Amino acid sequence: MKAVTLESLATCFQGILPAHLFTCSAEGIPNAAYLSHVDYVDATHVALSFQFFNKSRRNIAENPNALVQVPDPDTGQGWLLRVRFVRSETSGPLFDRMALRIEAIASYCGLKGIFKLRAADVYQVRSIEPAPEELGLDCARVRVPGSHAEPNPIFTTIALQALAEIINRADSLESLVDAILEGLDENFGFRHSAILVPAEEAGVLVTLATRGYPENGAGAEVRFGEGIGGMVAEARKPIRISGLVRGMLYALAMHRDAEAEAAGRPRRKIPMPGLANPESQLGVPLLVRGELVGVLCLESEVPYRFHEEDKASIELLGSYLAIAIQNMQLQERALEPSEDAAPGAAASAAMQGTREIVYYEADEAIFVDGEYLIRNLPARILWRLLTVRDSTGRAEFTNRELRLDKSLNLPELKDNLESRLLLLRRRLEQKCPDIRLASRARGRFALELACRVSLRQA
Amino acid sequence: MIQGDLAVFVQAGVGIYIGTRNAALEPSGARALGARVERDGAHLVVYVADAAVPRILPDLESNGLAAVTFGRPVDERAIQVKGTFVAARPAREDERPALDAQWDNFSRTLEMIGVPREARSAWPRWPATAITLKPTAIFEQTPGPSAGSQLA
Repeated sequence: MKAVTLESLATCFQGILPAHLFTCSAEGIPNAAYLSHVDYVDATHVALSFQFFNKSRRNIAENPNALVQVPDPDTGQGWLLRVRFVRSETSGPLFDRMALRIEAIASYCGLKGIFKLRAADVYQVRSIEPAPEELGLDCARVRVPGSHAEPNPIFTTIALQALAEIINRADSLESLVDAILEGLDENFGFRHSAILVPAEEAGVLVTLATRGYPENGAGAEVRFGEGIGGMVAEARKPIRISGLVRGMLYALAMHRDAEAEAAGRPRRKIPMPGLANPESQLGVPLLVRGELVGVLCLESEVPYRFHEEDKASIELLGSYLAIAIQNMQLQERALEPSEDAAPGAAASAAMQGTREIVYYEADEAIFVDGEYLIRNLPARILWRLLTVRDSTGRAEFTNRELRLDKSLNLPELKDNLESRLLLLRRRLEQKCPDIRLASRARGRFALELACRVSLRQA
Repeated sequence: MIQGDLAVFVQAGVGIYIGTRNAALEPSGARALGARVERDGAHLVVYVADAAVPRILPDLESNGLAAVTFGRPVDERAIQVKGTFVAARPAREDERPALDAQWDNFSRTLEMIGVPREARSAWPRWPATAITLKPTAIFEQTPGPSAGSQLA
């Protein structure tokens, strides 16, 4: 067997499956302790998380030699790293990366800020050997450099090319986001995905499109720092989380939700679509020149589904997608027709039943038949469309007139109108399919009703 | 020393590691498969797969010092037992069913939190060595405010 390198053990450094740290005091008393994070630094160094002052830390100060036993979650193979303490880092990229991962995990159970990283302790790796009592499943899967089991870069390149073509072909924001999520499914096998974009409210993301869930989730919001999407938005860095800790914390998170509900907090909230118990999650920020245009999230029921190479590929795809989303919004605006909509009369389709639609002006929220539909800009737009249709009988509208409509109060630059119309359309499909926003031509759409509506402002 | 709830915990089927050190104060350690409390808590028997024994037995025979951690993956409850080496012998066939039962329970708790059983299917668990230690101190190791406090 070739010498094993630290790079080849990338899957061991996800920081999720706990490792074990063996140390020894100056008086010679051995110590054994769980260790939550081992991170790759370079070809000859690893970093261990220092979260608590404990015996291991005191021993290292007296005697820098230690043994780390770390499992490869993919194969089950245990690895023994003989290490020697070099230095402690309390800032910089390494510290930030480890701190972020710890925060990401803790954020799921409301422990954000409690398990703070005190330092990233850097150790020189003196030797790497397999632990004979923890033999891996399939040695071929252990990624010794040059072995055939390494990820196939040609496959990845072809998949990325396919997605790049999808991006180039898309002719609207809607077709772009849908085709990307479909392409991730078909080319990479990533079945559960979501694209979130910044909401009007600062520090909030809103779901634009999802794939692989029973509900489309359009309009579901997460605060920055909440869950994988929120953490990625806050950090503006890719984050990958695997199942072990996620599984542990799931019960706690459920408990917290149940408590919140018992406390009678209102459920004016669209649930974020997601797997009940995801084993792996990967989120990448969509950035254009430092501006966050969205977050792409992937999750899987398979433990350790997303590897280091996947993170790199999806990050690359994300940078491309970010530019495409931004371009699409600018382009749609430029190509919009300059004239107003023809006064196209509302089609008198067979109307079935009556929907009671209430607009709460104070918090800009719309309820349909007593159930929360949407809030903020999409709510203002829908209310505007419904009232115009009700008072004038006009059913066709243009993006341009919405932009010019002072009552909607759209931001002058970067109004994200297309994305708000898209999520409104999706939300309607989910909650009341008898009210539709149907595209007519670029920048033009119709409000189609298959029911009678009773409008009330509260 | 190891009595009551602690004795139940260490024999319930949890994650176990045993740590040692050599004359140059270089730490070593290995995963263990199971444990047994004997003589009303005055002895702790730790079972280690023979494949791992050469890493720790020379240390134990030369200086006798050991640290053993017991950790339950589902709630992170963990303790550490410091002890001194008493003896080592091959594990007996009649000890195997209890050892297998502990292992199964440990494996089940790992599955509950998403680590598949297959990942451990190639680990050699037999033949094993029974290492008897005399516990000298027990410490709380569950992450939190009482971590590091002495339990016995």
